Amino acid sequence: MTKLLLDLSRRSAKGAEADRSAIDAAKKGSADLFILALVDEQDHHGYEIGRQIERRSGGAITFTMASLYATLYRLEERALIKGRWVEKAGQRRRRYYRITESGRAMLATQRQDWGRFIAALTEIAGVKPA
Amino acid sequence: MASAFNPRDEVRRHIANSGIELPDATIDELVAYLEDLHANAIEEGASPGEARRRALKALEESAFTSLQRHAVTHPDRQRAARADLMAATSGRRSLNVMSAIRLAVRQFRQHPTFAIVTVLVLGLGTGAATTVFTVVDSVVLRPLPYAEPDRLVTLWDTNAEKGLTHDPISPVNFMDYRALPVFSDAAAWWRPGINLTETGRDPMRVNTIEVGGNVFEVLGVKPQIGAGFPAGGPMFVTNELICVISDRLWRSRFSADPSIIGKTISLNDTPYLVVGVMAPKFHFPDDVDVWQRVRWDLTQHSRAAHFMEAVARLSPGTTLEQAQSAVEALGTRLAEENPRTNKGYNARLIPLLDEELGYYRPALMVLFGAVALLLIIGVLNVATLLLTRALSREKEIAVRVALGAAPRQLITQLMAESLVLSVTGAAVGIAATLAALPLIVAFTPVDIPRLSEAAVDMRALGLCLSVVGVTTVIFGLVPALLLLRSQFTTDLKAGERGSSKGARRTYSVLVAAEVAMACALLVSSALLVRTVGSMMNTPTGVDADDVTISTVQLSPSAVGAPARGGTIETVWVPVANVHSRILDEIRAQAGIIAAGESNFLPFSVGWRNPFLIDGQPRPARQEDLPQAQMHSASEGYFAAMGATLARGRDFSEFDHKDSVAAVIVNESFAQRYLAGVDPVGQIIRTWSTNIGPLGANLKSPPNYRPIPEGLPAEIVGVVKDINNVPLGQTVEPAIYFSTRQFPFSEVFIAVRAADPSIAQTAIRNALRKVVPNVPMSATQTWGERFAAKTAEARLLMTILLFFGGLAALLAALGVYGLFSWSVALRTRELAIRLTLGAKPSSVGALVIGQSAVLVVTGLAVGLVIVRLAESALTRVIYGVSTTDATALVTASALLLAAAIIACVPPALRAMRVDPVEGLRAE
Repeated sequence: MTKLLLDLSRRSAKGAEADRSAIDAAKKGSADLFILALVDEQDHHGYEIGRQIERRSGGAITFTMASLYATLYRLEERALIKGRWVEKAGQRRRRYYRITESGRAMLATQRQDWGRFIAALTEIAGVKPA
Repeated sequence: MASAFNPRDEVRRHIANSGIELPDATIDELVAYLEDLHANAIEEGASPGEARRRALKALEESAFTSLQRHAVTHPDRQRAARADLMAATSGRRSLNVMSAIRLAVRQFRQHPTFAIVTVLVLGLGTGAATTVFTVVDSVVLRPLPYAEPDRLVTLWDTNAEKGLTHDPISPVNFMDYRALPVFSDAAAWWRPGINLTETGRDPMRVNTIEVGGNVFEVLGVKPQIGAGFPAGGPMFVTNELICVISDRLWRSRFSADPSIIGKTISLNDTPYLVVGVMAPKFHFPDDVDVWQRVRWDLTQHSRAAHFMEAVARLSPGTTLEQAQSAVEALGTRLAEENPRTNKGYNARLIPLLDEELGYYRPALMVLFGAVALLLIIGVLNVATLLLTRALSREKEIAVRVALGAAPRQLITQLMAESLVLSVTGAAVGIAATLAALPLIVAFTPVDIPRLSEAAVDMRALGLCLSVVGVTTVIFGLVPALLLLRSQFTTDLKAGERGSSKGARRTYSVLVAAEVAMACALLVSSALLVRTVGSMMNTPTGVDADDVTISTVQLSPSAVGAPARGGTIETVWVPVANVHSRILDEIRAQAGIIAAGESNFLPFSVGWRNPFLIDGQPRPARQEDLPQAQMHSASEGYFAAMGATLARGRDFSEFDHKDSVAAVIVNESFAQRYLAGVDPVGQIIRTWSTNIGPLGANLKSPPNYRPIPEGLPAEIVGVVKDINNVPLGQTVEPAIYFSTRQFPFSEVFIAVRAADPSIAQTAIRNALRKVVPNVPMSATQTWGERFAAKTAEARLLMTILLFFGGLAALLAALGVYGLFSWSVALRTRELAIRLTLGAKPSSVGALVIGQSAVLVVTGLAVGLVIVRLAESALTRVIYGVSTTDATALVTASALLLAAAIIACVPPALRAMRVDPVEGLRAE
């Protein structure tokens, strides 16, 4: 996170022209947090996860199908979430994801880090939480 | 057209365009996504065309290359791919039984270590079980080859006061019991020492019983040739000397000549007419070659002389219990009527089969129980192995279920795998049995009745097959159901953890059961170790491990006595002299340290006869006189056997027919009857004049008639107690006569020499010189004879120790497997504990602690099993109880230590979990 902050400040210092890639990088870095936070609330299947993120961010954050699943698989590989096929009556078979113990630990850490980051943005860059 | 929207086709096309490959599982997920998106768009009011456009857009925006790495490396998908491949190799997705078996075989070929270990454990278990079953079946379970063998019982004297539970019966008492209506008939016998002598051939000792002429009728058997003893003929008191011989003697000595019937053979120089040859497998009561018909009246003997064995046939409809109570009632009455001879005596019936098997019946049953436990441990062990293996395939199975595999197919596959293992294991087991059985029959160090008839048959194979059936079901079905149950649960909250937890519980129960059974086995073997220890440590009163023992039986012709009707002077004085000359010849040879003879060896009970010490009040009735064992021993016997004279002197050549009668008493005698006085010089009076055809007191009047005041004898010495009762009983007071004054025709010669072979040569030379017509019996050292008394217990102990060790090893492996798996499964939990500040040592302690709880539970259950097996165990142990603390603690500690050692590696692994790696790990 510190690295990201340094990176951001360095890029900001380059010029007045805002560099979109820094924001993209921050978004990318926050993807894990969004997914972990969502499946921490409730088990979700892939499409629902993508839709929830899009809806709750007011369309600010979207995933393509491939990047969503790439992230899900990466998180699953790191044992932060766990997927399993479920067939519910009257519904098609879907793979639901739920958070694991280590996922919860990771989520807590990320929440703290991002909290500090947002505080720094507010304090230093005058960014106000929306 | 919206209806033409097929997300699967679209995804496949997109994948193809990207030039990548994705596994079916990933494709399924992407398809589900697109279907959801499409359905959602329709729900939001989009036209089918618009919905399709949105879905395609989502597809187009996706760079599948980013997906490929994760999709391919994800373990879930790897397994799914393998599962797909497996299904494909069978030609179609559903597996039939044969292809399931082929697939199972292929899998085991790929992982041979697992398969070999499993098959060996199973093979060992089934092999041991089949072998022991075969032995138990032929030795214990098959009926005896007599008519209605269940009605046959043996009859023994007991005496609670003297601690006798299985004593030879007195002939007079036997005749009283025989008359009871609970018996159809009964026959009794004793075992004279008999030499078979023929002109021109070496004399040979033949195992002989002198038995009532009704014995074959009682058993319901007939000779293979000849008529046998005349049916309904006189039981005793006949001058007709007839005998029946064994098939073995007939073949080895008489070339299976059928004309032997009607010929005479010379038994101890007396001609006996052969009236029958028994069938080859007839061995009653044991290894007997000659059955002589009794020719003296059993009712005219003494009630105090306990030297006969008896078999009786229960009347039709009479139970053992009814007969036993009738016998006891009569026994009590006889004791009241004949207090001198029968005080404390009663009788006991033992089913003939139990009697013939003796120690082996309970021993084999214990062994059977032990091998069953071992087999169960083996099966449980393999079950845990397979369970772990199945759990590690949980994801593969999950994916296969997700891909639409029917539960039936999965069960078929898992059952096929367990079937392959069970059948191979059973085949190994049967092969092991076929190889081991002949070796066991040939090399068993003890003589187990009917063992030679043991052969693998359909019953044993049936047992093996049932083992295969049960193990297949346990191995295949249980893990399959366990896994499928967790897979089909629709309750997401139950989740993955739940299934692992359930499996861990199952696993723990399996391992605790293994520990319990191993505990039972180890405790049993520890009890047997204690038994053998206690047998070996029984004080014998002699120190004679290397002393050579041989028997010598002098016949009238060997001593130049008339064949029949001799007197003390013509028969017994020569017997005493010849025995003394033989001993003198032995002592004269180089390398001989001491030599002597006695009519009883240690652990044998002497003749119990009344006596009176001069100066002590004589009871009003003769029957109230005290009784003591009477033995005859020569000078040098105590020295040869390493017995210790506590006071006085040994016998000498001067204690002969014409000198004062001399006796030596044992310490028990001195303490009980001569406490506080010096026994040496005291006079003992006895009334024993002769012991049938066995021996005679040379100090008695020529007509053998007992004289009212008794025969006086001076105590010349006190010998420290030599054990004169079977193992486990208290030494009785004993009086030793000199063989020069109270000779017996048959005696045991004991020779202490620099080397047993020197002793053997000395005995052979002496016999050749003094009595060339007397055969030399097989010699053994006392150490060998004593070891033979403990051979049965030692054999059982060795086998149980082997089984116990194996069981402990398997149980330890089970514990190791459980905790290795458990630690691997809980890596993340342990990592979190470590992250949260838990010390590695406390994590290790956690694992060891959990294992200790499991093992202690197992131990507790194991001790309950021992408790349940108590009735069988008490019959094979001696000098220790089933609650023997040393045995219980040693066995438990051993098992606990093995289990703790087994969970040290997993505990160390748990302590070394890297929190970072652990959190990342699956």
